[in-house]
Amino acid sequence: MDVPVWQVIYEELQAVNPDFEIISVAQDTGGEADAGPIFDAGNVSYTEIIDVNHHISALYNLVNVPSGVWIDKEGRIVRINEGTYAKTHMNGAFGTDEYVPIVRDWVANGPDSEYVWDSDRVEDSIIERTPEAERAQPTFRLGSYFFQNDNDEKAEQYWTLAQELDPTSWNYLRQDLLYEEGGSAGPEWQQRRQEVESNGGSYYRSLEVD
Amino acid sequence: MGSNNAVKLLAKGLVVPFFLGANLAVAQGATVLYKERVVEIEDTLPDASELWVKPEDLTRINDFELKPQGACLADLCIPVLQNRDSDMFVTRQGQGWFNVTGLADKLQQAWAADYDDSVFSFGVMPLERQSFFRGGMAPDFELTDRDGNLVSLSDFKGKQVLLLTWASW
Repeated sequence: MDVPVWQVIYEELQAVNPDFEIISVAQDTGGEADAGPIFDAGNVSYTEIIDVNHHISALYNLVNVPSGVWIDKEGRIVRINEGTYAKTHMNGAFGTDEYVPIVRDWVANGPDSEYVWDSDRVEDSIIERTPEAERAQPTFRLGSYFFQNDNDEKAEQYWTLAQELDPTSWNYLRQDLLYEEGGSAGPEWQQRRQEVESNGGSYYRSLEVD
Repeated sequence: MGSNNAVKLLAKGLVVPFFLGANLAVAQGATVLYKERVVEIEDTLPDASELWVKPEDLTRINDFELKPQGACLADLCIPVLQNRDSDMFVTRQGQGWFNVTGLADKLQQAWAADYDDSVFSFGVMPLERQSFFRGGMAPDFELTDRDGNLVSLSDFKGKQVLLLTWASW
């Protein structure tokens, strides 16, 4: 839903700072068939990747989409692990209008932007994984391999195991629900989300823009 | 899967070379998943739980090279004895075999296996991410974009990058 919105923002911000780049990575086991049309509809000129194995989420310890990482000119992370919507959607049902302004500020001011985090804050914001959660990523990949080879039974077996090993990953849950329930925002997701939120947790880590 | 894990844990406590290769007549292949790679291995050494491959296949899997001083990736070398059998390396009928899952355990690299179909899946290597957890350096990656080009984060040095994940589901 944000893919075309980011395209407009990308064009705007590249005019301000030609060194600004977006790398947009779809976490889609279904590959080109699932994510391709959405990229196409957005007439995207930034870097488009369809990451069928959810490798970027594995590498950056991300558990949800959309998630954003700011990487500076030296390859340093200066913000990470936020629910990075480009705008609000469906009359405010989800999304946020607060994220793009801080991206704009960062593009204009670089390391001097007040929204840039120091390395301590970045380290604190990286999600820590238990050893079981570390095992969830090769287990999920194993399931994806079987999915890609039309062995749905084993795909389900390993995707279920991955969710047990890392119950904090919304990505593993929702990718699986797409095939189990025909959609990823159905009853099971709603119930899980309510459980987390009623226990004082949050679905996305709160966006800190002040 | 629970029983497979039990087998794996059990096997870890054993001295592997005693039973390794007892059934050499059966050549078994394996499929190995690591990063974006799907590596087909023609011959492995039959073993209940670990993955033993020829040294050249080790390199195809994860770029580690078996050298006299050990299994090496760039400047890093994990010492591996090769003049006698160990839990990392054995010689059978003149052919050396390297324990890839043993290396993963030494590197604290998570892995998972489907033993029935002989598919081994390896996670991210912690050594690739030390500076991620301490200092917040962005881990590099290599993925194929929609135009078929390999894209690495290191291609973007000198750029200010917004890395975004999303999904169609």
